[in-house]
Amino acid sequence: MEQLIEDVTRGNVTEVKVVLASVILALAVYQLLLAAVAYGWLRLPFLEAATASWTHRASGDAIVVLTILVATACLSYYGFEEGGAHAVFGSILLGVLALKVLVVRIGGAPARLLPLLGASLLVLFGLTWLSSAGDFLGVG
Amino acid sequence: MRRPPQAVQLLGSLLAAAAIVAVAIVVVTAHFGPTSSAKLEAREDIVKERVDAREERAKEREDAREERLEDSP
Repeated sequence: MEQLIEDVTRGNVTEVKVVLASVILALAVYQLLLAAVAYGWLRLPFLEAATASWTHRASGDAIVVLTILVATACLSYYGFEEGGAHAVFGSILLGVLALKVLVVRIGGAPARLLPLLGASLLVLFGLTWLSSAGDFLGVG
Repeated sequence: MRRPPQAVQLLGSLLAAAAIVAVAIVVVTAHFGPTSSAKLEAREDIVKERVDAREERAKEREDAREERLEDSP
């Protein structure tokens, strides 16, 4: 697996991971905006709630795929032991992400938790990014 | 202001997502500078070529000097 990741990224494992993590974070911020429109908290003259909701789902699917890719690269290439705060934030993030996907699938009463789960995910994406990619880019 | 048709809204919001992705990639990649292994390898190759050429020229000069010494009485 380690060799596969090395080959796919042509030896630039960290750089590719940082780019993908930054894309995820940027999309997560966009998700917040779309969710605000979808829930009617923010009214935009050019975007309906239903459309915002659809795009929120589509963008969210992309985020899930990218997150799994980054997490796989991270765990198989760098391991868990030396991750420190980044590993902790990343693990909680994966748990909350899985929970949110589950709540979306179940629907009903638990769906009331979605705004809270979404906001938590944005914070966790930010913390996970800051503790790794942010450090690498000199931001964290 | 009248809202655009839903298909246009959908396309616009997806294009906005694509633009956000593109900007994130460009900004982060620009931050790296020439640190990718491909660029570093290319730099190393250029340096190696220069060193090889320098050594070759030095060897040619040495050979020419030896020839001159052999030819001299």
